[in-house]
Amino acid sequence: MEAEDALKAAYALQEKGNAWHGEKLAQSMGLPKAMGQDITRAFVASGWAQVGVEGALRLTEAGKARARELVRAHRLWEQYLVKQEGMPLEAVHSEAHRREHEMSAEEVERLDEALGHPAWDPHGHAIPGPGSPVPFSEARSLLAEGVPDSRLRIASLDDEPAALLAQLLALGLRPGVDIEVLDQEGGVLRLRLDGEPVPLAFDAAEHISVVPTPILPVPMAELPIGSQARVVDIAGTGRHQRRMLDMGFVPGAEVSTVRKAPLGDPIEYRIKGTAVALRHEDAATVLVEELGYE
Amino acid sequence: MNEGRIVVGLAGNPNVGKSAIFNTLTGSRQHVGNWPGKTIERAEGVFQHGGWEIHLVDLPGTYSLAAQSPEEIVARDYILSEEPDVIVDIVDATCLERNLNLTLQSLELTDKVVVALNLMDEVQRQGWEIDIETLQAALGVPVIPTVATEGEGLSELADAMIVVAKGRQTTEPIRMDYGLTIEGHIQDLEADLDRLAIDGQRRWLALRLLEDDPEIVNAFKAGDLEKCCLRDDTEPASREALHAVLRRATRLREATHPDARVEIVRRRYELAHELTHRVAHRLRPEEMSQTERMDRIITHRIWSWPILLAILVAVLWITIQGANIPSSWLGNAFGWLAERARDLLASINAPWWLVGSLVDGLIVGTGTVIAVMLPPMVIFFTAFNLLEDIGFIPRIAFNLDRLMRAMGSQGKHTLVAMMCFGCNVTGVLSSRIIESPKDRIVAIVTAPLVLCNGRFGAGLALIILFFGNRALEMTLIYLFISVGAMLLATWILNRFLFREEPGGFVMELPPYRKPKWDQVIWRTLVYQVGHTMGRAIMIAAPATLLIWLLGNLPPGAPFEQTPIGRLVRTLAPMGQPLGLNGEMMVALLFTLPAKEIIVSSLAMTYGLQTTLADSQAILDYLAQTWTTLVAFSFITFYMLYMPCLVTVWATWKETHSLKWTAVSILLPLVMASGITILIYQVGSLLRFS
Repeated sequence: MEAEDALKAAYALQEKGNAWHGEKLAQSMGLPKAMGQDITRAFVASGWAQVGVEGALRLTEAGKARARELVRAHRLWEQYLVKQEGMPLEAVHSEAHRREHEMSAEEVERLDEALGHPAWDPHGHAIPGPGSPVPFSEARSLLAEGVPDSRLRIASLDDEPAALLAQLLALGLRPGVDIEVLDQEGGVLRLRLDGEPVPLAFDAAEHISVVPTPILPVPMAELPIGSQARVVDIAGTGRHQRRMLDMGFVPGAEVSTVRKAPLGDPIEYRIKGTAVALRHEDAATVLVEELGYE
Repeated sequence: MNEGRIVVGLAGNPNVGKSAIFNTLTGSRQHVGNWPGKTIERAEGVFQHGGWEIHLVDLPGTYSLAAQSPEEIVARDYILSEEPDVIVDIVDATCLERNLNLTLQSLELTDKVVVALNLMDEVQRQGWEIDIETLQAALGVPVIPTVATEGEGLSELADAMIVVAKGRQTTEPIRMDYGLTIEGHIQDLEADLDRLAIDGQRRWLALRLLEDDPEIVNAFKAGDLEKCCLRDDTEPASREALHAVLRRATRLREATHPDARVEIVRRRYELAHELTHRVAHRLRPEEMSQTERMDRIITHRIWSWPILLAILVAVLWITIQGANIPSSWLGNAFGWLAERARDLLASINAPWWLVGSLVDGLIVGTGTVIAVMLPPMVIFFTAFNLLEDIGFIPRIAFNLDRLMRAMGSQGKHTLVAMMCFGCNVTGVLSSRIIESPKDRIVAIVTAPLVLCNGRFGAGLALIILFFGNRALEMTLIYLFISVGAMLLATWILNRFLFREEPGGFVMELPPYRKPKWDQVIWRTLVYQVGHTMGRAIMIAAPATLLIWLLGNLPPGAPFEQTPIGRLVRTLAPMGQPLGLNGEMMVALLFTLPAKEIIVSSLAMTYGLQTTLADSQAILDYLAQTWTTLVAFSFITFYMLYMPCLVTVWATWKETHSLKWTAVSILLPLVMASGITILIYQVGSLLRFS
């Protein structure tokens, strides 16, 4: 079981393009250097790795395949524990870690089937398909990406340390959530999450992987009053679409929401220097990208 | 000196001061009618300038020439037609970018365009500066700054019309670039059209085909290009060839990403945006506008309601109070006129029936109608137009849209209903502001349920007579019944007759502006009061004559022997369930030409007098003979029962539909009968009298 954990760590090192050997591996796992010798011996004996030049090790195809199986089993288990057992996210890692080694290939496939072939585990990591490599993630650490004023989406959270994961989840930082970086000072990043400021230590930020927020057009009707947005598309058809276009709701046009009528509908918008009142249902056909608040 | 005549079409967005320019230039020399086959106003006028006779045609205000509404079709067909020598595009300089969308479309249709940059005073007030020279160079046509309400720049504008119309200055309109893909498609389609020997406007046609323009596509389908006003002098192309072009256009459109329809408009706005940024410069930083400050109160979640109610009550109160004195003056004036006419006819020994029918029938009857209708109409519509000129009226539609939507209608319907408070006829005519055909029909046929000034004023006299110190409460009850009936009818129509048809509400909220009194009074007197009174007199004159004849023939007969007396007996059973007697039924019949004459009609049907002149005697008589319950039933039925004949006529004119005209008559009749039966029967059961 320890050897299999080492194999996963070795796979991660090799996939990231690093050269590695027994000692380095032991170090990366937080084990004493002396253990490196044992690991190397065990790997070679199992046919998982070969010794190359200058003592560097390389995983064999068999080694890589087993590592992938383990990652796949682990992440499927995590998904199962969260989705089917309702276990809290911060607790699933250790449980999945124990069970991944006990599963046969058929059991893994049955689990995958039962879960409906999920693509992501609950931490936001991709679950590799059977026999395929672990997908390379474009996500980067929040610490590296967290320049002030950037808008980011959390891609994944590191499984360990579990205590930190629990804290992050308690703050509302979970995969799929959009955040905004306000500033950084004295080892602390200030984020905005759902309009609330959230301070986050650099050490914690290192364990969060983020991607830039993709532009997700929202219906103009959903914009809060006082927001600015840019028109992306007009979803309507025919006469209605043409009407909207002629009133100035063309892709690229900037629009702001001014006020709602006393009964909540229609809504007044400012577009191209004029004020236009639209009903909620009509405004919903205009897709916009939010630019911010006044 | 007489150089000749040129014809000029005035195009522009709504609310840009187009009518102000038209009225200032042509003064009283104008003619208002409809575009052929459409219920869209066509105003034409003539003025002299520099020896030229300039003939102006005011096109409907539109945001676009996309042929998505009858207004847009009228404007576009006119620009495409051979008729105008030059098109003046009137632009609101305070929102240049949105207005340039229409300018650029006009420039694609014709080279002969003059741009009038109106509201330049407002531009300065808002702290902007517009570089006219640069704009003119960029657009390639003359650009004339104007302040229409002050008459500034209009002489230069007229000069430019002549210069461009006569080709003394060649114009080179800016050419839109729609981007590689669409320009490629345009070339392909132009080549096809060229092969079909379709001359002129090929690029424009190609664009419309790519856009899937409904009018052009239908013309191609029908194989009849004359329909869309193309300058097609050559042999008509075969139907198959036209269909082939259509198929190709469809294929090209479907292969275009992003959507060709969106892309064409986007490109145009992109150019408008770029031009605006090149020529408009801000001189002062932006401050919170007066419009914003006012809207915070007027569209406030809570304050909007008392404000709206206060203004409505104030307008109605001013109308009724203010109309009393001029109405009695007019009544006296017609009385004096009648006496003079009587003397004149007596001096030439005219027979009694001629004197009676001309003097008592025509002058006294029609005079009564005018005296009671004219003053309240003038006051009400002046107030209403003033509110509209300020910019308050669109806010009412904005505030009330949600409420009307619950009935299946929309905010603009409330504006029509408010006009109906002044006069149902004007209300019906004003329904043209509603674009959605369904909402428009509903607004028209429910109009008669709204109490007009005429019914309100005459009804008020009866309310005061019978309810004295409770008059205010009763007045509010009637307002409530009327508005409630209108809303109920709107809901019923939308629920059962128009279940599938979509409505919709898109409205511009113009900035608040200082009222232009001359424009307000002009619109009130010429467009609303003038039109409606003219029609009212046309109907009232023969009707009052007829009523006189009914009450006075055969000569010397006792009242029971006159046609009125017989009618009273015939109609009596019909009114019974409603608590109405025959005299009341006939009086109600007599008020069909004009609802205002109810009291004098009652005087005639009760046999107290033989003319429609107002008198105190009938009021005293009614106070003694009617019970409170009968009065309540009668007033209720009178307030709702049927539109006046002028309204029926206007409804026919606006809908061109027998069905809807019939609905507009039957709907109030059924509702009035229902409500009155309810009141009378319940009241009788409770032995309330």
